Amino acid sequence: MSQEIYYEDINVGDEMPKLVKGPLQKLQHVMYAGASGDFNPLHTDDDFAKAVGLDGVIAHGMLIMGFVGQAITQWIPRKYLKRFGVRFAGMTKPGNTITVKGNVVEKRVDGNENIIKCEVLAQDENGDVKVTGHFEAALPLKS
Amino acid sequence: MADRSKQGKEYPPITWEVERGKIRELAKAIGDPNPIYLDKDTAIEEGYKDTPAPPTFLTVPMMWSSSMPVVINDLKINFANVLHGEEEYEYYRLIYPGDVLTGIPKVVSIEEKTSKSGRKMDMVTVEILYTDQDGEKVAKARSLLIERK
Repeated sequence: MSQEIYYEDINVGDEMPKLVKGPLQKLQHVMYAGASGDFNPLHTDDDFAKAVGLDGVIAHGMLIMGFVGQAITQWIPRKYLKRFGVRFAGMTKPGNTITVKGNVVEKRVDGNENIIKCEVLAQDENGDVKVTGHFEAALPLKS
Repeated sequence: MADRSKQGKEYPPITWEVERGKIRELAKAIGDPNPIYLDKDTAIEEGYKDTPAPPTFLTVPMMWSSSMPVVINDLKINFANVLHGEEEYEYYRLIYPGDVLTGIPKVVSIEEKTSKSGRKMDMVTVEILYTDQDGEKVAKARSLLIERK
């Protein structure tokens, strides 16, 4: 079993372990379309994407949110996650390498739950921001 | 522009039976190697009942049921002008294979905003509250759709 993570061990300002994804390939858009059911051709058909004024296909925003979810739950067990939200800030293209990072911004006791709140960010190799967001998790106490 | 008379309107429910294979498929598409999503035995060792759904799984019933296009059409919004601005989940319990989810989409608000460049936009917030086969709350998904006018 992976090591338990406790409320007492987390401090405001702590960094979430970084996650690097990519370089992204168009094949992943096809896989994500099938898995999620989002068949908007903007994500899989270059001709369609060009016809609406883009250079080519762009990634599903929800795929990038999925990367952020991966980053969160490789650190904080899935069962402790209570809230997770993102704002989509920019388009992601094939070839981009996405880095997800975050840090703890708040700790609070809410009833019988011990909550940590973190801000998260996904950006590409040029520092362009794709997604900003936040999550909250209720962690167990040592004592 | 988005039809404001639809604020507060609820739409026909989405019903979705959660399959282990679909959980694994989403994890693989994301490229998430976390074994709790892929392998039941590991998930049990880690304190789960079965392979739990990854954090963004609720996009699956929403997209496969085509519920969002129904809402967008009903709001008389032009698809070509819609951006997905935000997505947020509140989790009340884990989702596992075998769960039968029922989600009720609801348009909670429509507000006009003006972008920095002066362009008017309608900000449409749609919530889907999901319950399980016992009627217990599972999660709420909130999507912000931005209609550029």
